[in-house]
Amino acid sequence: MQEKQIISGLKARNKAAVEYLYEKYSRALFGVVVRIIPQRDQAEEVFHDAFVKIVSKIDSYQKGRGALYTWMANICRNAAIDKTRSKEFSKSGQTNSIDDYVYALEGRSDTGDYVDGIGVKELMAELNDDQKLIIDYIYFKGYSHAEIAEEFNIPLGTVKSRVRASFAVLKKKMEKI
Amino acid sequence: MKGYISSGILELYLLGELSERERQEVEQMAARYPEIREELDQLEASMFAFDRLSGQKPSPAIKDKIFASLEVETPPASIKTMDTPESKALSRWRNFSAAAAVVALLATVFAFYFANRYYSTQEEYRTLVLERSVLAEELEINQARYEQMEEFLGGDFDRIPLEGEAYEMQKDAQVDIFWDRNDARVFASVRNLQLLEPGQDYQLWAIGEDGPIGIGIINASQTGLLQQMETVSAAGAFAITIEPKGGSQTPTLENLVVLGEVV
Repeated sequence: MQEKQIISGLKARNKAAVEYLYEKYSRALFGVVVRIIPQRDQAEEVFHDAFVKIVSKIDSYQKGRGALYTWMANICRNAAIDKTRSKEFSKSGQTNSIDDYVYALEGRSDTGDYVDGIGVKELMAELNDDQKLIIDYIYFKGYSHAEIAEEFNIPLGTVKSRVRASFAVLKKKMEKI
Repeated sequence: MKGYISSGILELYLLGELSERERQEVEQMAARYPEIREELDQLEASMFAFDRLSGQKPSPAIKDKIFASLEVETPPASIKTMDTPESKALSRWRNFSAAAAVVALLATVFAFYFANRYYSTQEEYRTLVLERSVLAEELEINQARYEQMEEFLGGDFDRIPLEGEAYEMQKDAQVDIFWDRNDARVFASVRNLQLLEPGQDYQLWAIGEDGPIGIGIINASQTGLLQQMETVSAAGAFAITIEPKGGSQTPTLENLVVLGEVV
């Protein structure tokens, strides 16, 4: 199904389109949430609300405003960040970082995380310390680049170029998959 | 075009971190220049691939719950017309309670509407405040940099490149020292230094006839920025070593990272 078809299907509240969207994107989108909220029950609650929001707000998505995935991932990311900043968010076990995450992934039984022999751990090994810190704080701790600049006293421009460098590594690696 | 792509703005766009104005700018640029569109598409594809690779399947129960929630979200039922009244008295009451129900319904609708408006306005306000503080911060950084540049340009500075090539620690380390012999001011600019473990610092040494003197700590993460060091009036060489946090009295020579002689 093309992105266009999915979107028009969603706008018509076509159940098959929603089903397709779920099958194609739920793993990645839930990944966005669970990176920031490691507690699975809370992450699933946030994911539920975010996915319902994606389907019901599809009318506000406009083509030309970036592709569908970016839009959906941002809804999930923002929902997760809002949750971690809300009062009822339990702080227990909130020490998520790349390393904890990779460790947790390794402990899981499904081996779907290894695609063509490249796993998340290998991917992370490609990043230098600066880049790892950026990915850690942006992807796993939900920081904005301005917050990173403040927290580590790094000029904003430097943070921006490091974000770019980190993405470049991911891009290079993901092209092989 | 290259500069726009390499500024990192596309990445921030994908992360949803740009202001409304910047976001529109990216979209206009992408519509106008195919290279930008392509870069954006590639970045998005790799972000999706990364998220999928590192993602997890939510449990099947959640899927059922989501679809159940979506079922409920059907359009609201239309209001049915009233039956004809059986008696006048009853009809009056009926009319009255119907009117009351309508008023209550309207009040609820208005309450929801205004609550919604209130929250979205509040959200917009928060975004604006955040945006403003980011701008103020950027301005402050630029102002400080500008003042420093002015001071720098007013002096008579020699550049002494320090290289790590000859030493074991970091072969590709490079730091530039700018030294004005007339008034003894020293600035350092990091070109390439690895970040250190917590508990360690890079210390700059001026090596003169009396041996090395520590003239300050260098921040490795501030690449390309001028960092002001302590003054020194005579030196034959400058060097950087890794020392315990806060620096040492004398340099730890086996931790020598870079060195450069004054010519």
